[in-house]
Amino acid sequence: MNNRWSFLILLAVFSPVIGIFFGAADLPPKELYQCVVGQCSTQINSLIFWEIRLPRVLVGFLVGAGLAVAGATLQNITRNGLADPYLFGVVSGAGLGASIATLLFDSQIGETLTIFGMLPDVSFSIALPVAAFLGAVFAVTLVQALAATSFGGRGEHMLLAGVAVSFMLSALSHFLLFLGDPFAANKVIFWLMGSLARTELWYAWIMLPVVMGSVLLLLLFGRRLDALLLGDENAKTLGINVTAIRLMALGICAALTACIVAYCGGIGFVGLMIPHIVRRWVGVTSRALILGCVLIGGSFMVLVDIIARSALSDQEIPIGIITSAIGSVFFLLAIRQRQT
Amino acid sequence: MPESANLQAKQLSYEIAQKHILSDINLSLERGKVLGVLGPNGAGKTSLLKLLSGQTASKQQVEWCGKALEDFSPLERAKQIAVVNQLNESVFALSLQQIVRMGWLPHKTLLSRENEQDHAHLAASIAKVGLSDKTHQTFSSLSGGEQQRGLIARALVQKAALIVLDEPVNHLDIYYQHQVLKLLRTLAHQQQMTVVMSLHDINLAASYCDHLCLLNEGKMIAQGPVEKVLEAKTLEHVFNIPCRIRRDDLTQNLRVDFYPPDEQEHPFMPEVMQYPTTTDIDQGHSS
Repeated sequence: MNNRWSFLILLAVFSPVIGIFFGAADLPPKELYQCVVGQCSTQINSLIFWEIRLPRVLVGFLVGAGLAVAGATLQNITRNGLADPYLFGVVSGAGLGASIATLLFDSQIGETLTIFGMLPDVSFSIALPVAAFLGAVFAVTLVQALAATSFGGRGEHMLLAGVAVSFMLSALSHFLLFLGDPFAANKVIFWLMGSLARTELWYAWIMLPVVMGSVLLLLLFGRRLDALLLGDENAKTLGINVTAIRLMALGICAALTACIVAYCGGIGFVGLMIPHIVRRWVGVTSRALILGCVLIGGSFMVLVDIIARSALSDQEIPIGIITSAIGSVFFLLAIRQRQT
Repeated sequence: MPESANLQAKQLSYEIAQKHILSDINLSLERGKVLGVLGPNGAGKTSLLKLLSGQTASKQQVEWCGKALEDFSPLERAKQIAVVNQLNESVFALSLQQIVRMGWLPHKTLLSRENEQDHAHLAASIAKVGLSDKTHQTFSSLSGGEQQRGLIARALVQKAALIVLDEPVNHLDIYYQHQVLKLLRTLAHQQQMTVVMSLHDINLAASYCDHLCLLNEGKMIAQGPVEKVLEAKTLEHVFNIPCRIRRDDLTQNLRVDFYPPDEQEHPFMPEVMQYPTTTDIDQGHSS
């Protein structure tokens, strides 16, 4: 087991290094080292390192880690191996929030409303993640309400409600974007596919505290989250406040997903796939699972991003296309495994 | 009610959607005793167990050690009362040790770490139920009897004084039925744990329980020592099927033999009705 953890830590250390090394422009290892210590040989190399490669790798790692942790948490609290932020409606909710923020704070409609004093003077960069979080919380609340009224409140059945909510909110956010922006198609495609192409370093400074705070909280409550694996009734007999723990976990998933979707769109299947791989490697209990998801999820996203950047010579593939392609095959395998 | 009773239910009633599930149940049990809850389907056995374990709130009608269950916080209650429910099939492959380890939960704060003593207690609890060689095996790969014993080990780790089990030998083969019930009786008599469980098999209940209570349509029909509760007339009335009661030559335990209704036409059946009742047997012994 220790060997496996050592391997995962090495993977998490080396994949960002490889991620920074690969790219259209040639940055040899010596030059990379010089850039790290702040002595890049040319202005262009400095720009490539600090403005393009490093933000991309840092944000990519945080996105992968955050989505995997959110997926693992959703799977454990619903006792359903097919749960992930996408299928649970959280991504769509965050997308809806982000779409509304885009309309209000980053479009002609927003400008008009601001002139009439109907919108507070909040910068778009702050309004975006906050709106995405509110959207994600709205989706989670809707899923909970639907599950409670239509599926008897059983955690295992929340996924069905999640899929319904996911389609509903996606349709709504795309409609809003088309309504408010004549050139909305690009934005819709961005939300649909997800991309790290527009990444900036300050994204990482917003994501880092959210991902770190979420991971620390989940590690702290790890033993109590494990009890949910026994089913709600059994967990209650162990003195666990099942409702409070589940709400806390859902809130964490909403925060993680929101800060990722707000800046990088909906990158699918990472939250579904990575926890399954981690379980096979380091076990099913929450603490091991969460740590494993940070290491493998982060590394996976950085490595996939290398493919996204370098697979085609003249353009970049949106990273969501690659994760969805890999994830859909994995999804089918997971269903098949459940049936056998 | 005896003053020494640890578990008490006083005029316990419970209803769902204005339908009476349990009415006016009075019950008391001393520490270190095994209580078997008997009754036909729908008699209210599971509801009674849920009320006695605090899973369902009563109106301060159930007391443990003189304190109403509602006055315990969920964590305090979990330190006192362990519930062994059938585990739903887990989607994730938890090992036996991981499941048993969850018994620590009521005793651990968010930041407390597991120490050597905890590990020794965990290993000892698994050893006590005879599963040391299966510690790291996936829980779902264990047999029904082993799973049940694993859950009892979790109750031991939980250090609970009262253990409540809903039909613990359901779906187990005869060997494991006896093994699980023997384990529970040993825990009660040797470690002063109080055990409350529902059972369908009256003969198993007669063999392993100190006290029985017989429910029918939410009402307490009889309760007390095995010899007092197992009366042919009462059982016939509750289960609506003829029976006879005898004492087993080998074990000296009471045994109940039921006869399906269509066998009432059987030439030997009239004799069945004339079999001696418990009272007759007791009188026979004393004479």
